[in-house]
Amino acid sequence: MRPSSSVEAHHFEALGTSCSLFGAGVTRSQLLQGEFWVRELGTRITRFSDHSELALLNGAEGEWVDVSAEMECLLREALRAYELSAGLVNAAVLPSMLAIGYTRSLTAGASSAKLEDARPAPRLPDVLSLQPGRARLELGCGVDLGGIAKGWMADRLAARLGPNALANLGGDLRAAGSGPDGDGWPVGFAGVTVMLRDQGAATSSVRRRRWGDLHHLIDPRTGLPSRSGLGEVSVVAATGCDAEVVAKTALLLGPGLATAYCAAHAQAWWLS
Amino acid sequence: MRPFLLKLGATALTLGATLASSLYVTAHLKNPSAPLQPTVLASQQGRSVGGVTITPGVRRGDVQPVTSTYAS
Repeated sequence: MRPSSSVEAHHFEALGTSCSLFGAGVTRSQLLQGEFWVRELGTRITRFSDHSELALLNGAEGEWVDVSAEMECLLREALRAYELSAGLVNAAVLPSMLAIGYTRSLTAGASSAKLEDARPAPRLPDVLSLQPGRARLELGCGVDLGGIAKGWMADRLAARLGPNALANLGGDLRAAGSGPDGDGWPVGFAGVTVMLRDQGAATSSVRRRRWGDLHHLIDPRTGLPSRSGLGEVSVVAATGCDAEVVAKTALLLGPGLATAYCAAHAQAWWLS
Repeated sequence: MRPFLLKLGATALTLGATLASSLYVTAHLKNPSAPLQPTVLASQQGRSVGGVTITPGVRRGDVQPVTSTYAS
């Protein structure tokens, strides 16, 4: 089914990936405002800019820094993701990300890896402190929000667009409302179509963002790229952020435990 | 007097057990992270279609999707 005439769609490139916004009963202006919100927040939470809000937090050398409301929410979500995943989705893997050579956007290519510098990540709640409007990282620690940011942003963006909208940020998506025809938003999910109503979906994979024998998905237990035996996991969950966390956790758990974890936390899943 | 004391004791025992059990249950709320029993797990796993497991909380459609989830 193609979007009916009452559905407005808008596609753009941001966050280093493809983004799509859909809304029933929304104006094109609202979708463009959504794109602006993605771009503006993206510049603040990227770790690839020395001047971003995240870079300032990572470079604060153990001092408290002021953070925006969005950054504070995102950091709280990172702590929640840590709990939901039993520590497997751990934003404190930044030192390992740098050690494997993921120091800049992969469109510019990875830098040389220093695997001997990779180490198990510390417990995020032990190194990240939050107060209203302020945050602090322990000296020598850093966070990367790439593991949850797109799902979290898709959740907020769908809510901003209106009661009947869908935001897809690089495959991490949130569908709000009953969709164009009242029976949900039709979303492609591992080769089938599912009708999502106030649900999110996400895919985690080690088959993209690869260079040599390395990839971007760090197992915080080892500090090295995951070798769980799973290559890709797609999940439908209550929100886009939950879907992203559950997909990543299942992938890191591997084939032996992923099914049980998904059965407890997801509404649909595909393991490969 | 003795039958009355027995009834009183039985009543007190019943009320005490009721109170203690309710306090215990209140103090031991369900833990959503607890491992699921195999029977519960099986009922939640839903049906598997082409390698995709879909629980009753998600409805399948037979229309063209407007967008997809994918790895990026």
